[in-house]
Amino acid sequence: MVATTNNTVPVTVLTGYLGAGKTTLLNRILTHEHGKKVAVIVNEFGEVGIDNQLVIDADEEIFEMNNGCICCTVRGDLIRIIGNLMKRRHQFDHLVIETTGLADPAPVIQTFFVDEDLRDKIALDAVVTVVDAKHIQQHWDAEEAQEQIAFADVILLNKTDLVSPEELDELSSKIHGMNKMAKIYRTQNSELSMDALLGVQAFDLDRALEIDPNFLSEDAHEHDETVKSFAIVESGELDGQKLNNWLSQLLQTKGVDIFRMKGILNIAGEDERFVFQGVHMLLDGKADRPWKEGETRKNELVFIGRNLDEAQLREDFRQCLV
Amino acid sequence: MFSVGAKGKVLFQPKWQSNLSEYVTQVAWSPDGLLAASSAAGEVVLWQDGSLVDLLPAGLASVDCLAFSADGKFLAAGGQDSKVRVWEILSNHLVEDRANLIVSLDNGSKWVDKLSWSSTCNQLAFSLGRYVQIWDANTKTVMTTLPFSNSSVLDLAWQPDGKNIAIAGDGGVKLWSTGDWDDDPYLIEMPSASIVTAWSGDSKYIASGNLDNTVTVLEYGSHFPWIMRGFPGKISNLTWSQSLANHAPLLAASSMEGVAVWKKETNDQDGWNVRVLTLHNDKVQALGFHPHSLLLASAANDGWLCLWTKAKQVGQILEGASGGFSCLGWSKDGQLLAAGGRDGELIIWSESRRGKGFG
Repeated sequence: MVATTNNTVPVTVLTGYLGAGKTTLLNRILTHEHGKKVAVIVNEFGEVGIDNQLVIDADEEIFEMNNGCICCTVRGDLIRIIGNLMKRRHQFDHLVIETTGLADPAPVIQTFFVDEDLRDKIALDAVVTVVDAKHIQQHWDAEEAQEQIAFADVILLNKTDLVSPEELDELSSKIHGMNKMAKIYRTQNSELSMDALLGVQAFDLDRALEIDPNFLSEDAHEHDETVKSFAIVESGELDGQKLNNWLSQLLQTKGVDIFRMKGILNIAGEDERFVFQGVHMLLDGKADRPWKEGETRKNELVFIGRNLDEAQLREDFRQCLV
Repeated sequence: MFSVGAKGKVLFQPKWQSNLSEYVTQVAWSPDGLLAASSAAGEVVLWQDGSLVDLLPAGLASVDCLAFSADGKFLAAGGQDSKVRVWEILSNHLVEDRANLIVSLDNGSKWVDKLSWSSTCNQLAFSLGRYVQIWDANTKTVMTTLPFSNSSVLDLAWQPDGKNIAIAGDGGVKLWSTGDWDDDPYLIEMPSASIVTAWSGDSKYIASGNLDNTVTVLEYGSHFPWIMRGFPGKISNLTWSQSLANHAPLLAASSMEGVAVWKKETNDQDGWNVRVLTLHNDKVQALGFHPHSLLLASAANDGWLCLWTKAKQVGQILEGASGGFSCLGWSKDGQLLAAGGRDGELIIWSESRRGKGFG
């Protein structure tokens, strides 16, 4: 992922279970007077609306599902569609990709990491997930529902009018335990300020590491979820070689279960901070700005994943310290 | 830095130049020297002997594909307004009156990304999401709809002898027999998606450029393809040279800024040998062999159109699209070369007499 420049178009990946309110949100984005031309790629990447001309299928539920070998299909189709769209200058300022109700958002996100053409033209802005506050309880065990929450940078806890305040608090806390990086907004009818939705720059390595200090210090809430997030904060310098070995080993063996990771690292012998982020087994990192004078040099890592052995990861990380 | 043509040989010289309003998506030559070009602004233009006329003005939707029928009697264009338009091309007219729109097929909301005419009859194939439709110019009807199924159609190519049509997408290339459209297609299976596919001019070989950075080549009739690896990225372009006496034609492919040219060894077991052509420093957008020699043209985002003599050394570098080239096409007699630019440039070069003897 390259840092956002004037030549890249930001893309928002919109996920959420069927009926959660994605289409309502999409219509809000398209009809909102934000002065941006938004192109939308919906569903099976078959239909694209530009410049507020999107015609949305009336019923979300009729969207075709195709989860077979979605990686290749998604990549090929996304590259084709975006390649075609990008030929035209100034045609749109922002791209929204709506994944099908049940699809895992990872292949879409990975496409932007992997493809050599899209990498330079597109800057992933954020993964936005709409959660139906009432119905999430019924499909809480579905992997897709958990993954959509785990991948999110922005979560709309929607239809809050349909549940009690107590239920809502419990739900917020549960979601927070799974994904502490995401900003959670409580909404009705998917109503949310556009600033919170577009231009979030959650994947920009130059900004992505604005990890909430509260999160870093907070004790883990105990929830029974297999999907959870946690942070590792350690002072001290890392041995670059050991770190490399550990990370490549980790991604090889646990890549499938690590949904997202981010970090700022203090590498021995380097004057710059090293920043990185990952989606499954794909990792993207670079030397960042120099450590400031008087700044405490430390390492901060955040993991979101399934069945991750937190204690083991902490211990393995410590082994990489000089 | 590479010093170009120490002898300073001029193979091609500028002949004509103009500008469309946006990215030139495709250029195509008719057998009798008409040039058609399309743009991302939706323009379709026709050029003949220095005169340019609009067939379609700039509109809302990009025109993405364009082709003349093999006999030059029809021109078809498709794009993001979901329409396939076909013009009848009249001979012995001024360029202003040469094209007559005879049909506009409306296809709902699907983009038409790819289209191609059979080289043996006036049948037009065009992509429509996960399907390809075959339209017949004689009856002016859609003859059949072929379901690719696995994904949307990423490319299509008629076998030059007209026996099959190849359709590329996720999972590989499917060959439908034109003799019986209802017959199940033959699948050239691939682990990822086929993005581009091309037949050799003698109909003997079919190549597929893939998303997983490989090229697959199958000798038609065989079940055991060759697989070429080692590319830095997905394959963007494929092109075959003219047929060679006693030898398989050369195959050129591009991936990111690199171009590779394969030559088949006499013995099948020895496979194909590769030569890598490095000079471009940005993505190669188009590749094309001269129709009657081994002169290879490569046009790239770096604003260079390189002419590779015998598909080996660069013989000349053509410029004129500072923002990068987007497409190119050789006239059928090989005397003219057209290229489009990302900022709308449309340029034609003609063969230089001094440059005779290349290739």
